[in-house]
Amino acid sequence: MELSADISLPAGDETRRDKAKERLYVLFQSGGWGTLMAIEAWAIIEFPEHEAVWGKTTTLAVTFMSFATGILITHFIRPIMARWGWKQLGWRPLLPRLFAAAVVAAAVWNALEILWVHGILGLPWRYEYSLPMILVMEECSCGAIMFVWLCLYFFYNLFDRLNRSELERFRLMTSVKEAELRALKSQVNPHFIFNSLNSLRALIEEDPARARKAVTQLANLLRYSLQSGQLETVPFEEELGVVNDYLALEQVRHEDRLRLRLDIAPEALQLRIPPMLLQTLVENAVKYGISPRPDGGEIAIIARSSGGALTIQVSNPGQIEKAGKESSTGVGLHNAAERLRLIFGEKATLELHSDRQLAQVVAEAIIPLPSH
Amino acid sequence: MKALLIDDERLARNELRRLLAAFPQVKIAGEASNTKQAREQLAALKPDLLFLDVQMPGETGLEFLESLEPPAPHVIFTTAYDEFAVKAFELNALDYLLKPVDPARLASAVERLPGLAGPAEPKEPAGRLRTGDRVFVREGERCWFVEVGQIRLLESEGNYTRVHFGDAQPQLFRSLNAMEERLDPRFFFRANRRQIMNIAWIAGVEPWFSGGLLVQLKGGAKIELSRRQAQEFRERMSL
Repeated sequence: MELSADISLPAGDETRRDKAKERLYVLFQSGGWGTLMAIEAWAIIEFPEHEAVWGKTTTLAVTFMSFATGILITHFIRPIMARWGWKQLGWRPLLPRLFAAAVVAAAVWNALEILWVHGILGLPWRYEYSLPMILVMEECSCGAIMFVWLCLYFFYNLFDRLNRSELERFRLMTSVKEAELRALKSQVNPHFIFNSLNSLRALIEEDPARARKAVTQLANLLRYSLQSGQLETVPFEEELGVVNDYLALEQVRHEDRLRLRLDIAPEALQLRIPPMLLQTLVENAVKYGISPRPDGGEIAIIARSSGGALTIQVSNPGQIEKAGKESSTGVGLHNAAERLRLIFGEKATLELHSDRQLAQVVAEAIIPLPSH
Repeated sequence: MKALLIDDERLARNELRRLLAAFPQVKIAGEASNTKQAREQLAALKPDLLFLDVQMPGETGLEFLESLEPPAPHVIFTTAYDEFAVKAFELNALDYLLKPVDPARLASAVERLPGLAGPAEPKEPAGRLRTGDRVFVREGERCWFVEVGQIRLLESEGNYTRVHFGDAQPQLFRSLNAMEERLDPRFFFRANRRQIMNIAWIAGVEPWFSGGLLVQLKGGAKIELSRRQAQEFRERMSL
């Protein structure tokens, strides 16, 4: 489960991203205004009779200057809108604001242009319409340009935001899943390991052959427990083998206090389960069904494959303790159930119920089979 | 020194037996695989030392020890891996062995046992506790072997007794009346219905209302004595 490896964005990438965005802005800005300018220039050169009052060169210069003003206005309107928090707005609240901004920006644009052209340069009035009429017309055309500019700008911004939040969410999801799986990973109980080693010490003297076998069984169990973290699922048969080793070691410790009954359907052996699932159930059964009873009891493992699901039952003598949440049964089983759900989805369940008549506690895991 | 091995695993008991063979001063008087057996063995064999496993079916070693009539026997705990128990032992300097047992560690635990050279003292379970005797008390994860002489004050709390010593005051699973019968009256004085104080821990005495007395103990506790009890107290102290 190394999902998050190539999704994470370190701080260096963030600044690189910002630089790329800035380059893109310059490109759009020069491209857009350049195109507009080129069309205007083409019209002036192609239809000089419209610009007879000022002459071609002056008209070109004034037009160029006008667009330069437009560039400056749009350039400096950006930080203002950013400060007002417009970049965080959705389309609906944004649109009226953009419209208002376009109106104001166009007014400023026109005012600057008239001031410059007629006030400072002192060029003659070139239109056949009056000043108010021209102001309204210019406001409309300049406003349209500004509005389109603002829409394009925020469209990109909105798209970028969506992209980023998607990425963020994906990153979060995978890291949460990974962290959950890591936390839920169960390990062999250390108390069991040290008790087994202690029994082994005694066994070396009493029954060297069995001691040698027990060393191998303990090694199998520890190896499996350490490696299980790397796999999402394992064949049931593989886990069952390790559980048998575990139970053999518990029998060394508990001797005739621990009795076993296995009833495994052959077709269940190749089905896949999360590693340590059966181990957790059996360990719980020993911990709560055998250890606290001076006379011990029987643990039964039953596995069936039917109805499109693998059903595993582990039963032990006893009843479900009322204390529940505080005892560690709760935690171990809860973790196993969560792990099951994360890997196989909502249909996978793990439940604990007690059979009062038989004075038994049964842990039952149901794992849906892959549907193909 | 007679020892009793208490562990639910036969192999664990055998292993300890083999390890203890190297220490002739420790004689293994018997074995028990659960606390019920241990109680019977304790009564029958009167051992001086217990090797006590912490995790056992039915009742843990600590619960077992807590239930024993004081004085507490010498105990060396054995445990495989129990973070809580080990923390409690270390906090209170109780002797414990981690399984599998390291022979060198066992040697140092046996060496630390007191009274190995001295003559075996006759034990009377129903007799009075001496100031050097120890009582086992536990509260949550903490446990203590507290010397009777270190107890300043015992307070009744229903069927239990709160024991004040050092900076701790855990509960003992015994009534104050039952404790009074076991305490040495030369040191412990019944101040009132609820309290028994250790005379050796008195810091000061002041007159109190209507002929009573207010006794202040080292460590800060203040105890009121009614006129009748004050009378008895004066008689006792003037002797």
